[in-house]
Amino acid sequence: MNPFVIGFSNTIASVAAAGPTTNSPLHFDYTYFVQLISFLILVWILARYAWKPLMKIMESRRQFIADNLAQAEQERKDAEKIRLEYQQEMLKARQEAQSIIEKATKNSEKRAEEILIEARKETEKIKQGALADIERERDRAIADVKAQVIDMSIAVAEKIIQHQLDMRGQEALIEQFIQEVGDRPC
Amino acid sequence: MHETVLWVLGNGTVHAKTLIMTWVVMIVLLAFVFLGIRKMTNGTPGKLQNVLEWIIDFVRGLISDNMDYKKGSSLLTYLLSLIMFVLFANLIGLIPNIFAPLLSHVEFARINEMFGGAIFSARTTTLQSPTADVNTTFALSTITIILVLVYGLKYKGAHYFKHFLEPYPPFVILHVIDFIAKPLTLAFRLFGNIYAGEILIAVILMIPGIFAFGGIIPMPFWLIFCVFIGVIQSYVITILTVAYVGQAIEEEH
Repeated sequence: MNPFVIGFSNTIASVAAAGPTTNSPLHFDYTYFVQLISFLILVWILARYAWKPLMKIMESRRQFIADNLAQAEQERKDAEKIRLEYQQEMLKARQEAQSIIEKATKNSEKRAEEILIEARKETEKIKQGALADIERERDRAIADVKAQVIDMSIAVAEKIIQHQLDMRGQEALIEQFIQEVGDRPC
Repeated sequence: MHETVLWVLGNGTVHAKTLIMTWVVMIVLLAFVFLGIRKMTNGTPGKLQNVLEWIIDFVRGLISDNMDYKKGSSLLTYLLSLIMFVLFANLIGLIPNIFAPLLSHVEFARINEMFGGAIFSARTTTLQSPTADVNTTFALSTITIILVLVYGLKYKGAHYFKHFLEPYPPFVILHVIDFIAKPLTLAFRLFGNIYAGEILIAVILMIPGIFAFGGIIPMPFWLIFCVFIGVIQSYVITILTVAYVGQAIEEEH
């Protein structure tokens, strides 16, 4: 009969009756082989279903972290590049603004100068116009005075002719008229 | 210690309690590990996953400290299983056998003889460590010495046997003794530490007379020490396995 079957029936038999025992702590028997095999089975199960998947997970995490670090480094570099670009752009913009302000200042100064010159010219023109007007007015006034003098002369002449009869009083009269005329502004 | 119950297997016997406790340890270990990897993620790991990853890193550190990691990386899964199994096996022997009154009525496979008894009896007061059985520790050390041979041959070929004759051929005696002593010491060291620990637990509980309750005072200290020993021994058998394999595959110097 198969020794395992015998063993099994013996085991069953030993359930009922008090079976063999040993008192020696250094008792070697088939336990050794059973332990060997069961431990190897345990190792296999753990390796196959626990350690290897777990190590795969750990490796994938390691990879993930490494990737993340590399990505972070890349992003940091990009950010640095962008920062530098912005800095340069800002510098450029500032310079541009400066130049625009300078140009504007120059323009405004020029314009102010122009305006001043124009104003001066205008003033000159107005002054010339005013002077010409004054001249004209004076000429006209002189002409008027002249006309008045002529009128008065005629009036004097008329008065003299009217008073020819009184020759004595003639001289006094002329004198009086001349005095009157002399008091008038010409 | 009480007598070991033997199951008859074919024309030989097996240590019943050792086997049962080994299965219990394996179930607990598998439950622990599979709980840890149940919600496995490469994002933020859970607490248990974190523990497992710490253990992996720890054992990986042991390997890379003792040999070229590329050569030793295939040892990693074995060593992880070894350190976890031995640790759990060492610690399970310290758990009080609270099922003793219950199991004393189970006659199947002579469980009553192994686990039954009064709850305060020294005989069945704690569970037994699988590593408190010399068969278990010899099985583990056999695997270690086979690994030494396999790795030596794998990385050095027949050249591996040359070191038995160095520096002079007569030294072969020393080398052979060394080769045999390695698994022997591994096995007996682990067995002795754990077995002695369990014996002392029983002895403390057998302190007679007025000191019977006195077991309450020394017992916690001894249990703490046993936990310490259990952790240390699981570390020792692992690092020695690594060291022996490392010795076997190291380059000529």
